[in-house]
Amino acid sequence: MAIAKRVPMREQDPKIRITNFDSVPLGYSAEEAVKEAKRCIQCKVPSCETGCPVRMDIKNIIKLIADEKFEEAFFLSKKDNAVPAITGRVCPQEDQCEGVCVLNKTGEPINIGKLFAFVADWAREKDFVEQINVKENGKKVAIVGCGPAGITCAVDLRKLGYGVTIFEALHMAGGVLQYGIPPFRLPRDVVDYELSFLKKIGVDIQLNQIVGQNIGFDELQKEYDGIYIATGAGAPRFLGCEGEKLKGVYSANEFLIRVNLMKAYKFPDCDTPIICGDNVGVIGCGNVAMDAARCAKRLGAKKVYILYRRTRECAPARNEEIHHAEEEGILFREMIAPCKMFGNEDGWVTGIQMIKTEFKGCDKNGRPTPVYIKDSEFIMELDTVINALGTSPNRLFLSNVKGLETHSWGGIKTDENFMTNIPGVFAGGDALTGGSTVIEAMGNGRNAAEAIDEFVNRKT
Amino acid sequence: MKHTITRKEVLNGADFLIDVVAPGVAKRFVPGNFCVLITIPNGERIPMSIQKAEGDTISLFFKKLGKTSFELDMKKVGDEIYKIIGPMGSPPPIKKYGTVVFASDLVCGHAENWAMCDILRKIPGNHIISIQSFPTSADVYPDKELCEPVADEFILATEDGSRGVKGHYLDVLEKLLKERKIDQVFAGGGIPPLQKISELTKKYNVPVYTTVRQIMVDATGMCGSCRVFIDGEQKLACIDGPMFDGHKVDWEAAISRLTMFKSKEAVAMDCLNEKMKGVK
Repeated sequence: MAIAKRVPMREQDPKIRITNFDSVPLGYSAEEAVKEAKRCIQCKVPSCETGCPVRMDIKNIIKLIADEKFEEAFFLSKKDNAVPAITGRVCPQEDQCEGVCVLNKTGEPINIGKLFAFVADWAREKDFVEQINVKENGKKVAIVGCGPAGITCAVDLRKLGYGVTIFEALHMAGGVLQYGIPPFRLPRDVVDYELSFLKKIGVDIQLNQIVGQNIGFDELQKEYDGIYIATGAGAPRFLGCEGEKLKGVYSANEFLIRVNLMKAYKFPDCDTPIICGDNVGVIGCGNVAMDAARCAKRLGAKKVYILYRRTRECAPARNEEIHHAEEEGILFREMIAPCKMFGNEDGWVTGIQMIKTEFKGCDKNGRPTPVYIKDSEFIMELDTVINALGTSPNRLFLSNVKGLETHSWGGIKTDENFMTNIPGVFAGGDALTGGSTVIEAMGNGRNAAEAIDEFVNRKT
Repeated sequence: MKHTITRKEVLNGADFLIDVVAPGVAKRFVPGNFCVLITIPNGERIPMSIQKAEGDTISLFFKKLGKTSFELDMKKVGDEIYKIIGPMGSPPPIKKYGTVVFASDLVCGHAENWAMCDILRKIPGNHIISIQSFPTSADVYPDKELCEPVADEFILATEDGSRGVKGHYLDVLEKLLKERKIDQVFAGGGIPPLQKISELTKKYNVPVYTTVRQIMVDATGMCGSCRVFIDGEQKLACIDGPMFDGHKVDWEAAISRLTMFKSKEAVAMDCLNEKMKGVK
């Protein structure tokens, strides 16, 4: 039986969208969503759900969409996912629900991400709010960090009746959703709306509170029955090579924080500036590299290169991001690795020395291992270099918690119930894993909420 | 939290001070810390030295230099600052050093001078010498804002000799180093003189802590903009500093990186001036 093709997602034209920061996908209409949902064959044993870190009721949600019961679909998706409009946009669906969708073998998988984004957007436009009657249980939990893990843990605990306070270091809530992912991938009105739900159900979000700096961790320990550390992995990694101190060399974090959190693309209407040259090299090929490259393009760069030591087929970036980057004219230079950077007498970067690589064997995850090809160095002229090499757990907070055990690479150690070596103190998200996806962090926050609830109940 | 301005005073033609309510910062401030200010929504997050903390308020020194400080200068007593975050940074040890000199030549350095002298003088065994230098007598702060009350010895210098000792703090310090046994030097203010003071103290084999001011974005260790190179190792001024052993700092990089957004600062000022014209 021939299976109908996916209902295509309408998108902003690449030529136009590189001049703005608005959403690239335009979203399904109700008709399109229903048509796409009707492609679902409603498997007896839905493999899509096993691929979901927050265990969403995917099959039934799709059925409700197919039956045009959008309101019910929305409430069902909210049951397991505090922020479906966000995950619908940023999850690596091809590795999760859509990757294991039965239709993936014979045709094209159901566009689950876009369907869920549709339902959430529909509810937002209609202003449907999930009615939750919280029965206070008199217990209090503090959550450090208002990113995906913290948000999910907060919502789950609040639903169980806990008084929940989130302490966020930055002046805006959302963590990586706010400072990392650009608005053309995740519009900020979507983020604001999803976060407003937390306030509606009575989660207290304290901004500008850097635990360990303006509030002591010991104060939290005294006041709360449990603590969840979800401080993320926001510390940038650098190559440690010559020339990294030059002006015009950014960490992807700095580049993205300037653009996303501080809205430097609106400078001088917003105060924080950014300097992006004509020839930009982005080192790395993950989602963050794609985000940085596509931001650079939108800031007016003439040529933006992705510099990667493998090929894009082995890249950690989502397929959609690579595809969008290609459409926007981002140039992929594969099988090359950086050696050092050069600058002029004013201290500005002018170029980078790269070396060619070849594959030799595979690592334990089956990814081919690149090795340098001797004497194959060459120079690329660049006026902006962005390091997108991944991030490490934020060490500011960790250094402020006496006695908290961490791994040598900076991640927090926990037992199988996400509890650290300090009783009652749990940890999760990227602070635990060192960096993964929004949805993995959310799954973590969800599991931790269960563990915290069990711990507090056992204690009392 | 409302960060209300409770006092505002002129220090000289370009510098001014404000007292502002910021209990979180005030309660936990240790000299060597700084705070982060956001003056308006969509404003920058700017790192700021703290002169002192009393009760719920902190005292800050500003120089009218760029858009943000001009906006701050327009605020009056009773107005609010959008956000004040901190205290941030890792202060050097607050302990007995012996004879200590703090030298400063610029607004932020003068604030740090007061704060550090004040706390170190309370530790038995410390003898505190404060040096403050200004270009001319017209630039010298009002007496009560100079560090005299918090130091055992106070030396005021002007570069043209119109008031106090003639010279920059570097000249004053060199004389002291020649004549007396100094155990520890601290310095804050303009960056090029900090490189010089590092060279000078190295010559006399006296340790020095210098405030390595760098451009920060979030100031919580996330962006890496304020990276400084200490003995070749990368550190972040926002969480590892901003006070570092001056003998180990890569000053060339620190001085260069500080100028990265010069061209944009002018654009921001022009934009503000345009807006102000509209207001008039």
